[in-house]
Amino acid sequence: MKLTLEYKKIKRTGIVPGCLAGGILAAAVPILELAVRSEQYTQLRQSPLRTIMQADWQMMSMLNMLLVITIACMMYHTEYADNAVGRMITLPLREEKIFFGKCFLLSGMCAVVLIIEMLSIIFCTLRWFGGEEGAYTAFYGASFASAYMKFVRDLAYNFGYCFCMLLPVVILSLLVASACKNMWVSLGIDVVCLFMATMIPVRYFALSVFPFALPFQILEEANAGRAVQYLTAAMIEIIIIGAAETVFLKVRRAAA
Amino acid sequence: MKFILLTGVEWKKLRRSRILLIMGMAAVMLWIPSIINAHLNFEMQAEGISPEHNFLIQGFMGMAWFMFPAGMVVSTVLLAQTERSNHGILRMLVLPVSTAKLCMAKFVILLILAAIQMMMMTGMYFLSAAVASRTQGYEFLLSPIFVLKLVGVLYVSAFPMIAFFWMLSVCIHTPIFSVGLGLASIVPSVLMINTKLWFVYPMDYPFYIITAEYGKLASNLSEIRMEPVPWIPAAAVFTGICLAAACVYFGKEERR
Repeated sequence: MKLTLEYKKIKRTGIVPGCLAGGILAAAVPILELAVRSEQYTQLRQSPLRTIMQADWQMMSMLNMLLVITIACMMYHTEYADNAVGRMITLPLREEKIFFGKCFLLSGMCAVVLIIEMLSIIFCTLRWFGGEEGAYTAFYGASFASAYMKFVRDLAYNFGYCFCMLLPVVILSLLVASACKNMWVSLGIDVVCLFMATMIPVRYFALSVFPFALPFQILEEANAGRAVQYLTAAMIEIIIIGAAETVFLKVRRAAA
Repeated sequence: MKFILLTGVEWKKLRRSRILLIMGMAAVMLWIPSIINAHLNFEMQAEGISPEHNFLIQGFMGMAWFMFPAGMVVSTVLLAQTERSNHGILRMLVLPVSTAKLCMAKFVILLILAAIQMMMMTGMYFLSAAVASRTQGYEFLLSPIFVLKLVGVLYVSAFPMIAFFWMLSVCIHTPIFSVGLGLASIVPSVLMINTKLWFVYPMDYPFYIITAEYGKLASNLSEIRMEPVPWIPAAAVFTGICLAAACVYFGKEERR
C-alpha cells in the first residue's frame, strides 16, 4: 500500500519517463561504442560480457548514478516543494515508512534501468560477438542450448551484482535528499560525493567501498572472494544508512 | 530598472541559499586526492611532463570534466527553484521589466557563480600546491600568471556550456528532465574530445582546453591543436541560440 502511495506521488513529476529515458541513454553507450569501434573488441578471446562491461561500464554506471541521484532529489523535492511533507507528518503514518517506501520504489526503478541495459548488452553480444567465429561461441561452446544457459547465468549474476552495488547509492542519496529541504543542496552534496568516488584509485579496497564508488565495480573483474567482500560491504552500508535515517528522522521530529 | 540594479536584486535572492558552502566543499574535495597522491606526480615524467605541471593539470582535469559543469547544473537548479517555489516568479513578472532583461540578469548571476566557483578552485589549487610542496619537499607552485591565464581561458570557454544549462532550466519545467539532461550531457564529453567534431559539443570545451594544455606541456604526448576557426564561431552561434531561446521562453509558462 505504501508503495502504491509513493508511486502515485511521482505520477506527474515525469520521473517514470525520465527513468526509462535514462535507462535507454545508458543502454545506448555500448551499442554506440561497438558500432564505432567494433574491430577493437571483437578480436578479444574472452567472455563477451567481460569485454563489453570493461569497455563501457564506467560510463554506464556513471549515468545510472546520475539518474538515481536526480530521481532521489526529485522524490523528496515533491514532498518539500509545497510543504506536502507537513501534511504527510500529520497522517497516522510513520515517516520512516515513507522513506523506505521511496527506497523500494527507487530500487525497483533501478532494476528496470538495469534490465534495459541488459537487453542492450544481449543485443551487442549477439550482434557483434555471436557469429560463427565470434567470442560468444569461443567462450561458451558451440552447443546452442548449453551456451545459452551459461550466457543467461552469467548475465543474471553480473546484473544482480550491479543491482546490489547500486543499492547503497539509492539509500544514501535518499538520505541526503530527505535531510535537505532545498533540492540544490542535496543535489550538490550528491554530485560532490559522486565526483569524489570517481577520484578514488581502484587499488584501495577500504576506499572503494564508499557507497558512490561501489557501482563502478563489475563482477567480471572481481574474484569470488572480492565479490563477496563487496556484497557484504554493500549490505552493511545499507543497514547503517537505514539505521542512520531512522535515527535522523526521530531526532528531527523531536527537535521540530 | 537598470540592469545592474536588477542583477543586484537577483544576487540578494541567493542569500541563505548555502550555494557558496556547497561550492566551497566541492573545491576542497577536488584537491584533497591531489594532495594525498602528490607523490604519484613524479612517476609521470615518462610522459615528459614536469611534476608541478602534472599536479595542476590532473586537478584541473577533474574540475573541467565533471565538478565544474555539475556545479553549474546545481546552480541552475538553485536559480530556477528559488523563483518557482512560492511563486516568486509571478511577482517578478508583474514588475515593469522586460522578461528578456530578467532572464539575462539571472544568466549574469550564473556567470558570477561560475566565476566564484572557478576562483575557489584556483585558490584551493594554490593552497594545496603549497601543502604538497611542504609534504613532498618539491616545489609544486607554478607562477600565478600562468595559472590565472589558464583559468581565464577555461572560464570564458565555459560560457556556451553555461548558456546551454540555463536554456535547459528555463525551457524545461520538469526538474527531472532539465537536471537529468544537464548532468547526462556532461558524461559524453570524455568521448567527444577525442573526435574531430569536438567543437559542436560545447560541454567539452573546458575539458578540451585542459587536454590541449596537457598535450602542450607533456613533450611525449601528441599535441592537440586548438583551431580557433570552426570553434569560436560555433561557440558564439551556440551561445546565441541558447540565450535567445532562454529569453523567449522565460516566464512563458507562468504568463499563460
